[in-house]
Amino acid sequence: MTKTLKSLLAAVACAVALPNAAAAESATIQAIKDRGTLLCSGHNGSYFGFVEVNDKNEWKGLDIDLCRAMTTAILGDPNKAQIVPLSWAQRFPALQSGDVDIIIKATGWTMGRDTELGLQFSLPYFFGGAQLMAHADLGVTQATELEGGTVCVEAGTTIERIVADYMKTIDVEHTMVSYEKAAELRAAYLANRCDAFAAWGPFLAVLRATEIDNPDKHVILSDQLSSEPIAAAMRQGDEDFVDLTNWMIAALLIAEEHGITMANVDEVAANPPNPTVARLLGSTPGIGERLGLRDTWAREMIAAVGNFGEIYHRNLGENSPYKLERGLNNLWSHGGLLYAPMLD
Amino acid sequence: MADLAIAPPKRLDVRGLVVQAVFLTLVVIVVVSAVTSARTNLDAMGLSSGFAFLDRATGWSYSFSLLERTIDDSYRWTLFIGFLNTLFLGVVSIILATILGFAVGTARDATNLATQSAAAIFIQTFRNIPLILQLVFWYAVLIHMPGPRQALSVMDALFLSNRGLMLPGLNVSAAAGTGLVAFAILAAIVLARWPGLSFIKKCLLWLAATVASCVVVALALSPEGESALSLPALKGLRFRGGVNVPIELVAMVVAITLYGAAYIAEVVRGGLQEVPRGLIEAGRALGLHEGLIWLKIKMPMALRTIVPPLGNQWVFLMKATTIGVAIGFSDLFMIVSTSITQSGQTLELIGILMAVFLLINFTLAQLINLLNARLRLKGH
Repeated sequence: MTKTLKSLLAAVACAVALPNAAAAESATIQAIKDRGTLLCSGHNGSYFGFVEVNDKNEWKGLDIDLCRAMTTAILGDPNKAQIVPLSWAQRFPALQSGDVDIIIKATGWTMGRDTELGLQFSLPYFFGGAQLMAHADLGVTQATELEGGTVCVEAGTTIERIVADYMKTIDVEHTMVSYEKAAELRAAYLANRCDAFAAWGPFLAVLRATEIDNPDKHVILSDQLSSEPIAAAMRQGDEDFVDLTNWMIAALLIAEEHGITMANVDEVAANPPNPTVARLLGSTPGIGERLGLRDTWAREMIAAVGNFGEIYHRNLGENSPYKLERGLNNLWSHGGLLYAPMLD
Repeated sequence: MADLAIAPPKRLDVRGLVVQAVFLTLVVIVVVSAVTSARTNLDAMGLSSGFAFLDRATGWSYSFSLLERTIDDSYRWTLFIGFLNTLFLGVVSIILATILGFAVGTARDATNLATQSAAAIFIQTFRNIPLILQLVFWYAVLIHMPGPRQALSVMDALFLSNRGLMLPGLNVSAAAGTGLVAFAILAAIVLARWPGLSFIKKCLLWLAATVASCVVVALALSPEGESALSLPALKGLRFRGGVNVPIELVAMVVAITLYGAAYIAEVVRGGLQEVPRGLIEAGRALGLHEGLIWLKIKMPMALRTIVPPLGNQWVFLMKATTIGVAIGFSDLFMIVSTSITQSGQTLELIGILMAVFLLINFTLAQLINLLNARLRLKGH
């Protein structure tokens, strides 16, 4: 009887609260605020460019910066992010059991994960797929110039088929040599047995930057042979938290689009050039209330980690050792695939 | 004497029959239950079984093929190419290993100490290091040779680079090339059976016929306005024209040949040591020189001891071709293992692999038995 009464009361309370639902806090956000930290997924080691750890146990990378951005948005301080080291296999169980609040770790959005694993994905923030790396002295910049060349690939992978399909599509005659192990493949490529090395793009960038003595001798070709959307993964059933993640990513993209950087954010906020920027930086109120946050969350976030372009260049692009070109991971207005929903 | 032994009257051996019947039933039960339980379990997991996948296009490529291929080939055709690759590699390696093995085995049996120890070192080195290690070693050495643009060349007709060995070839289609090889084999068989010619004359005749057929075909079938001989030339990223032997194939042949030759040399030495000293001394007494003694006395006698274990080595070398997967050579085993990951039809593909090797090696064993029967001394 008391149970029925309680649920009835709860239902009434909900109905009363409905008009203010936007401002209501999700269970996850409430837990983060109570705890005072945001628990993000790290890695058991370094996944270069995305989740890296140094010998002082300091984390960095694109995914780590997104976690810091999220922490700043919720808690106002990027240092309140807590990185939990997890292997690839551990990440989903860890999320389901509450060991982490969110997985931001080069995780592809697939149907199986979305449905069977009970996850909810954010907007994709990165697109990565099969790419080719070639010896720079060949003077090759795109796959069509590999006519007659030799491409090495790991045997029995999806990359093997993607490359075969792509080369056939662009009608480039080539020889493919497939190796069973990644180490043999790398040795064969470095010994110049192959003109090009096919693998996941970010992996190639890392290989080029960290495991090859002279990165300038190798060039990653501009062709994207395939693409996989990388998104943040959350537990199903907390829509408000998903909304927050989406708007965190959107804010970083909108900031880049309008040239708002770590350095000039306060200046721009004081003197916003257009209504969108004014809404984003909280000069015109509204962005905070609708997510249950402060109106200055986006401004603080950009001041802490910069816009999406700055995050990219710091971790993968020109300011990182990897020098990965943006390609698809540029704003739509610069020929990329990234776009933000409209901030009204 | 045999006539005097009285055979016991034939009786129905009931116990023996029962034992055999029970054994046979057990074998049938085990096989049938294995097949049905595999079927049921695969169905329960929602995995498909059967050979329908053989007609599907593979969608992936591989390093070496004797025939034309594309990524739209069916699994059936791709597996056949893998079979041809294995057979080709096996036959080439066996022939080279046998020639080298006979040379080293003869050297091992020599009276000259330097020759003898050089042969002993060769045998001990290549016999005692695992084949896979030797293969990886040779491959590492070969791929560190200069690239195609700095290829080592002999008279601008033959090139060696870390991509492979480029040889001059005939400017004819692959089908015409296959026809020429078939003709050469046919000519060898016909000449071998031709009576009344010495071995040397047969060899010369075969060589003349083969060269003549090549010249005629090249002149008749080469595309108009182009030379009959196709020389390799660097164009863009690789050599075009001529015959390209990929470096993976070179590494496989080198590794298997050296390894096999070391074993065969020991077999040959054993055979040579079996030859009665009296026969050799008789040859010397007749004033024959060492070469003739080797050819006319030692070898014919030794072959009878050599052939049965030699056949064993051939079967063994044929099976040794399955290590191509380590260096990306597309032999049957590599094609099967890639097919397994790409199609998921594990049991069927392993079955095909086993059946093909059984077929190849059974045929080889039959050939050796035939050879053995031909060489047997009458009355022994």
